[in-house]
Amino acid sequence: MMKDMTIGQFYNTDSVIHRLDPRVKVIFTLVYVMSLFFSRNPVLYVAAFAVLVFYIKLSKVPVSFILKGLKALGMIILFTVVINLFTVQGAKTLVEWHFIRITDAGLKSAIYLGLRLCFMIIGSSMMTYTTTPNALTDGLEKMLGWMKRIHVPVHEFAMIMAIALRFVPILVDELDKIMKAQMARGVDFKEGNLMARLKKLVPIIIPLFVSAVRRSNELALAMDARCYHGGEGRTKMKPLQYKRNDRIAYVFVIIYLAMMIAIAIHF
Amino acid sequence: MDIRQKLIDIKNVTFEYFRRDAEGNVQDMVEALKDVSLEVTEGQFIAILGRNGSGKSTLAKHINALLFPSEGEVIVDGMSTEEEDNHLAIRQTAGMVFQNPDNQIVGNLVEEDVAFGPENLGVATADIWNRVDAALNEMGMNAFRNQSPNHLSGGQKQRVAIAGVLAMHPKCIIFDEATAMLDPQGRKNMIAVAKRLQEENGITVILITHHMDEVLAADHVFVMKSGRVAAQGTPAKIFAQKALLEDCGLCLPVFYQYMEYMRQEKILTDRMCSRIHTEQDLLACLKEAYAPGGVGDWPDKKGTADAVFADSPTDGVGKPKEGLLLNHVSYIYNKGYADERKALDDVSLHIGKGEFVAVIGHTGSGKSTLMQHLNGLYLPTEGNVYYDGQDITDSDFSMKELRQKVGLVFQYPEYQLFAETVEKDVCFGPENMDISRVEAQKRAYEAIEAVGLPDTIYDSSPLQLSGGQKRRVAMAGILAMQPEYLVLDEPTAGLDPYSAKAILQMLKDLQEKQGIGIVLVSHSMEEVAEYADRIIVMDQGRKCMDGPVWAVYNQIYRLEQLGLSVPVGNRILVTLQQMGYSVHTQISRMEDIFVELARWKSLMGKQV
Repeated sequence: MMKDMTIGQFYNTDSVIHRLDPRVKVIFTLVYVMSLFFSRNPVLYVAAFAVLVFYIKLSKVPVSFILKGLKALGMIILFTVVINLFTVQGAKTLVEWHFIRITDAGLKSAIYLGLRLCFMIIGSSMMTYTTTPNALTDGLEKMLGWMKRIHVPVHEFAMIMAIALRFVPILVDELDKIMKAQMARGVDFKEGNLMARLKKLVPIIIPLFVSAVRRSNELALAMDARCYHGGEGRTKMKPLQYKRNDRIAYVFVIIYLAMMIAIAIHF
Repeated sequence: MDIRQKLIDIKNVTFEYFRRDAEGNVQDMVEALKDVSLEVTEGQFIAILGRNGSGKSTLAKHINALLFPSEGEVIVDGMSTEEEDNHLAIRQTAGMVFQNPDNQIVGNLVEEDVAFGPENLGVATADIWNRVDAALNEMGMNAFRNQSPNHLSGGQKQRVAIAGVLAMHPKCIIFDEATAMLDPQGRKNMIAVAKRLQEENGITVILITHHMDEVLAADHVFVMKSGRVAAQGTPAKIFAQKALLEDCGLCLPVFYQYMEYMRQEKILTDRMCSRIHTEQDLLACLKEAYAPGGVGDWPDKKGTADAVFADSPTDGVGKPKEGLLLNHVSYIYNKGYADERKALDDVSLHIGKGEFVAVIGHTGSGKSTLMQHLNGLYLPTEGNVYYDGQDITDSDFSMKELRQKVGLVFQYPEYQLFAETVEKDVCFGPENMDISRVEAQKRAYEAIEAVGLPDTIYDSSPLQLSGGQKRRVAMAGILAMQPEYLVLDEPTAGLDPYSAKAILQMLKDLQEKQGIGIVLVSHSMEEVAEYADRIIVMDQGRKCMDGPVWAVYNQIYRLEQLGLSVPVGNRILVTLQQMGYSVHTQISRMEDIFVELARWKSLMGKQV
């Protein structure tokens, strides 16, 4: 089940999109998602779809991988679409059976919502498919850098996020080990009612928590030993710097935005 | 005095801290260091020896300005740790590699982690790349630079950690028990790296450890006991003080103990012994003295050694009614996925009641997977597992009973303690077995006694105990279920020799007095030689040897082919045999080998 969950994962390959500055991708994603709300015109959706296809093509992320991610959210999308289909009521009735009444407006709304959701999910997961978590953290840190002036600890938040990303797989492993160790002491996690099962989590959560605290203490010492003293005066091995491709990409983003606005106004 | 510069000067340092109870009231004051003075000259290889809790790690953290003396002063490269402005410069000068490989790596990629130190120091980007390249090359980790540290082995992670320190261009590197969590091969490599950095790069090395075989290469050794420096001097001088070392809870390297015995029995002369610094030296010396003409290959290479069977004949026919039986078991991880991996490959074995069996093999040879088959945590992909003649996958088989009968103690079991008191934690297992609370408590008390802990410990929080005590509590938690078999994954990992010995003796007692079958997964060949009766050797998921300890250990050529080390005692015996002497080789315990060496010497009657 977890293996099919491709959303949020990084797809490791080399492409023009992968090499783009993370900030460009963040901004494009924001613009793209916003643009889907400009109007409910078929032309706009056709344009958004065309751009998405082009984007995916450039990124070299296989379509099957993307669809797998979409499938994981299939139930949620379907649910929203069905609710819309039945609840949005228009003038012209298409189907009527007992209390169910599907109208033209309902159908239209359901189709648009479904497409919008799919485009949004694919558009935003393209960002994580093509950007390492570290690059994404770096990008966000730099983009939100101005917030340091109003005393928001942006660097610290970014560091916390990067460390969390590093330790998630370690703690998942640890969780597995602890569960097995408690199973060896006779715990059967599949047995008993909800309350009994919740109680069985105690011998897992506590050691995991203790371990996380112990690890963070040791990590803090190790970071101290390596002269970490916050973001002040810190340099970067991989500083974010816009290159030619990033500037070209920005031009495309602006053209895209202008095009979508034009479509929204004219059609 | 040496003309070289004094790099570290620790003057009369005392370090105290308050121990508090749960409410935050001061319980008592602990003096972790008492009036410690120590000097290190630039370019030296220094070792600080001591058992767990002797204060050696506390001392190391003073050199790195991570802890500060309550009294006295620490001066690193002319800078006192008292001045806060000096801290960054001190930490850059004296880098530190810690014990746990995972908990000191910050970066999500190897190269990004190595860059962490230079980034903090404000080094320019281009220079960071140069430093990272150089450090990774020095550690032989360049090929892994774009990998996640999570995919590396423990030894490789420690190399990354060293590279991270090297990239800060330190004058001194402190290895704070950096070998404690590695397997013997990883430990050996780590010491070699430290030695190379000192000899070729002129970096001062301070090695903190409880393994005496690691300090042979040191220029100067400090021995710590209860927060004080109990002795100091060259390794030779320190090694000669046997009584003192025992008092400090340390243990001489095994080859050294054999050498000392042979010197005492006049098998080797004092002059010969003065030239012996390694196991190889010892064997070479023996050959030189007793077979000047040279000796041939190891007997098992020539096919003259006793046979060791890799396959137990257990093809389902006449399968034993008693004990644990694996019949042609294979296990595949992530079957059907891209990362599918065969962890066990057609393994058949039988473990009888009351046996003491050791399972040895490299990291990744399938030992852990094997042990988890013994109590049904893993079920075989192919083949069958039987407990007392019954297939554990049968529908009427009680998995709960199997888990109770076959107690499994994982590596670092203390990390699974969770209850507020020792008593409650130990009761957890029995209480899962549907027995009365009173009975569970009774079993818990018996188990706590069996692991050698006092009854005053019942109400203590497991978190407040020492490392060795925590491990005993965790083992008591399994013993309280009254198992017939105890399967343990490296029960002595990370413990000092004194605590390790006590744990192993405890296991031996459980086997001899209560008839509990012991299956011990171990990396330490010497520990297996002393305590086990039978060895199973695993390699790449296959069982490749299975037999009495002596029979396996006499297969020196084969074990070397597998990249496993052979205890020096059996090497000595087989070497003597090779030289044409008639010695008994069907033994493996040091005590027995001593007796045999004395017998051989008296028969020979020849003086050297």
